[in-house]
Amino acid sequence: MPELKTELRNNIEQLLNDQAVDVVIAFKKADLPLRPQPAFFRNVEELEDLEYNGLCQNNLANYLTRYPHDTKIGIVVRGCESRSVNALIVEKQHPRENLYMIGVPCQGILDIRKIINKTGEDITDYSEDGDQVSVIFKGNEIKLQRSDLLHDSCLRCVHPNPVNADVLLGDPLPEGDPTIVRQAIEEFEALDRDERYAWFQKEAERCIRCYACREACPMCYCTECFVDHTTPRWTESDISQAGTQAWHIIRAFHQAGRCTSCGACERACPMDIKMTYLTDKLNKDMLEVYQFEAGMDDNTPPPFASFNLDDKNRFVI
Amino acid sequence: MMYILVKKNLDQKLSEWSAKYEVVAPQKVEAYSQFLPFTESSELALNEPHNTRYPPKSLFLPQSEVMLKYNKRLNKFDEIRILPEKRIIFGIRPCDASALTLLDTVFDTEEYQDPYWAGRRENTILVGLGCSEPPSTCFCTTVGYGPFNHDGLDAIMTELDDVFVIEALSAKGEKLFSDFPAATNEHELSVLRIQSNAKQGMNQAFETEGLKQTLDHLFESDYWSEIAESCLGCGVCTYLCPTCFCFDIVDEVQRNERVRNWDTCMFRIYSQEASGHNPRPTISERTRQRLMHKYSYWLDHIEKIGCTGCGRCVRYCPVGLDIRAMLRTASNFESEVVNVG
Amino acid sequence: METRPKIALFQCKWCLYSEPDQNWVDNELPSSMHLVKLPCTGRINPLYILNAVQGGADGIVISGCLPEKCHYKEGNLRALRQHDEFLNFLDYIGYERSRVRFVWLDLQDRGRIQKELADFKSEIAKLGKAKVLATRSKVSPGGQYA
Repeated sequence: MPELKTELRNNIEQLLNDQAVDVVIAFKKADLPLRPQPAFFRNVEELEDLEYNGLCQNNLANYLTRYPHDTKIGIVVRGCESRSVNALIVEKQHPRENLYMIGVPCQGILDIRKIINKTGEDITDYSEDGDQVSVIFKGNEIKLQRSDLLHDSCLRCVHPNPVNADVLLGDPLPEGDPTIVRQAIEEFEALDRDERYAWFQKEAERCIRCYACREACPMCYCTECFVDHTTPRWTESDISQAGTQAWHIIRAFHQAGRCTSCGACERACPMDIKMTYLTDKLNKDMLEVYQFEAGMDDNTPPPFASFNLDDKNRFVI
Repeated sequence: MMYILVKKNLDQKLSEWSAKYEVVAPQKVEAYSQFLPFTESSELALNEPHNTRYPPKSLFLPQSEVMLKYNKRLNKFDEIRILPEKRIIFGIRPCDASALTLLDTVFDTEEYQDPYWAGRRENTILVGLGCSEPPSTCFCTTVGYGPFNHDGLDAIMTELDDVFVIEALSAKGEKLFSDFPAATNEHELSVLRIQSNAKQGMNQAFETEGLKQTLDHLFESDYWSEIAESCLGCGVCTYLCPTCFCFDIVDEVQRNERVRNWDTCMFRIYSQEASGHNPRPTISERTRQRLMHKYSYWLDHIEKIGCTGCGRCVRYCPVGLDIRAMLRTASNFESEVVNVG
Repeated sequence: METRPKIALFQCKWCLYSEPDQNWVDNELPSSMHLVKLPCTGRINPLYILNAVQGGADGIVISGCLPEKCHYKEGNLRALRQHDEFLNFLDYIGYERSRVRFVWLDLQDRGRIQKELADFKSEIAKLGKAKVLATRSKVSPGGQYA
């Protein structure tokens, strides 16, 4: 994707030169080839380090809420990120006029763990060309197919193209197939109750309460999270079953109608806990019941922040 | 004295030990490895190039541990202290074992002794597994340890093609392996070669000489906000760290238990005061605390760096922050500060 | 004293129009039922429901006002959206949805709350103790107190 990177760089360079923005949130190269980092560009000289490839695994919208509202922010957004930004605009976390969204149609984020599984831990170089990914492991080049390495949530992606971006770099990609995620959820729903609970239990009990899922999520921006409350205390703070289950249930539920299925939570988890099966269920219900998808525009409030008298038919008396 | 353990006898040997000891060894859980009690059906994960993802400090300082149960109505309580009888931790990496010796200076001093920690330490035999091929994310040699460091271990194993060559390092270790066949000269030579190759394969990741002074000097500078700008403020680095030991004691009022949980300086509520004031209000101050504790404050107490270079924080940081890169920039930053000043 | 099935009743303080009914709920609720009185069903956070479940409740009743009858105009409409989905969600991970019942009360519904609670109690008794979702119970063996 070298052309895209050049285009991105030129775009950011112009933004910074024109002083149209105070900071541009993007990715930069790091020492480890598989771990590009979120970066904050304020000078053109720093753009030497700019990186954009399939390994940029974080949701950059996460950093938006750290800035005062009058900061002019440029942000590189892929499909899910742009929707997260929109959802944050709806929730009045940053004014639209102080944002410049540089949209990049996304071919999907690669799962580092899938790469390491196929090769080994110590990868010394990485490059990608279209559908081909090549890594250097112990001095040998290994070629891999991009489609085999996509993160699970990207395999189910419906909207790869940025929504509401100010500029779009590269050609728009075809929309994803919404039946894939629906089928996955329906398959889970079709399991019997005990199996569903057993799965949930198995995933939740590995939790170490590091809250990486929370911190990696752009929509988790509360100053004080419910698990941090001391009076009243809502959940147990140890790694007991009741504590970790409560965390997983409520964390996911707080995302209802706000989650954009970016999968940043799952990628951040150090214990490989599956989480998107929870939020995907909520997203599916939001779509079916309220015809709502989070972040598809920057003014429709999520279903739980609004009400409708038509709902009265649903009151079972 | 050096002994050998033939690889194909490994499971049998561990089972034999299981009769007398609780045997704990690294095992596969999903896609990662973790120390778990050994059973007949265990799938060992000894051949990974690096240490387990979940740190073995949890075997001595469990993430959550009930310390007492109480009854508010009767105004009485029971102290709970569940300690292992006799235990072998098999296949612990040298970095994790040396981290335990660092933690001894916190939990087991002349002044204060933590009975939970001390009890577990006393009843445990640590059989280490040296790292023949340390991954590039490890940096034990940089902080004064090594892939075959002996600190804290009762015995250390070196993996050859079909055998583990074991060097007993303490009376406990000598006793455990005394009836094992002795290693041949050839074995010992291969071990020497592997050990020196492993060590030579590792680079100096950052300069430790004068690092403390540099960091102390930078205390009030912008360095911290710069390196921590992309930090999420989660607890991955500290919870997986073998030398982080902060804990928080909580009363779980609904179940009448007092629990000691791991805590981390990377959380906002760690330093939040009852008044609402937080002396470490942003992620940069918290990052400063984490780095300064390891590379400056530990030196004030025991003249050793509080990091054993296990590389977990580097490997598992969700935003790919690399503590080695952070520390490398420290010295650059200092020269900039000085030049401007 | 009856202890099972344990039922938590979340009641909007405006929903019971008749004074005798409210009196009954306030003073004569069976000992196995636990009353949580709230200003509106809209005040019920899903966390409250989860807390009741984890605290050992076998069933939960939420009683509130009909649409357009909410004292705060829209509280119950917002509550319905959230709780309905929350129960779907709990059902998705294995918790039986039938353990939670909504009772939306109208002006003429005198004496209905008693009937609903009795009916719900017998239904929950049939279901027995919930098998899914961990309750807050002791995590460590030993100790004679507590």
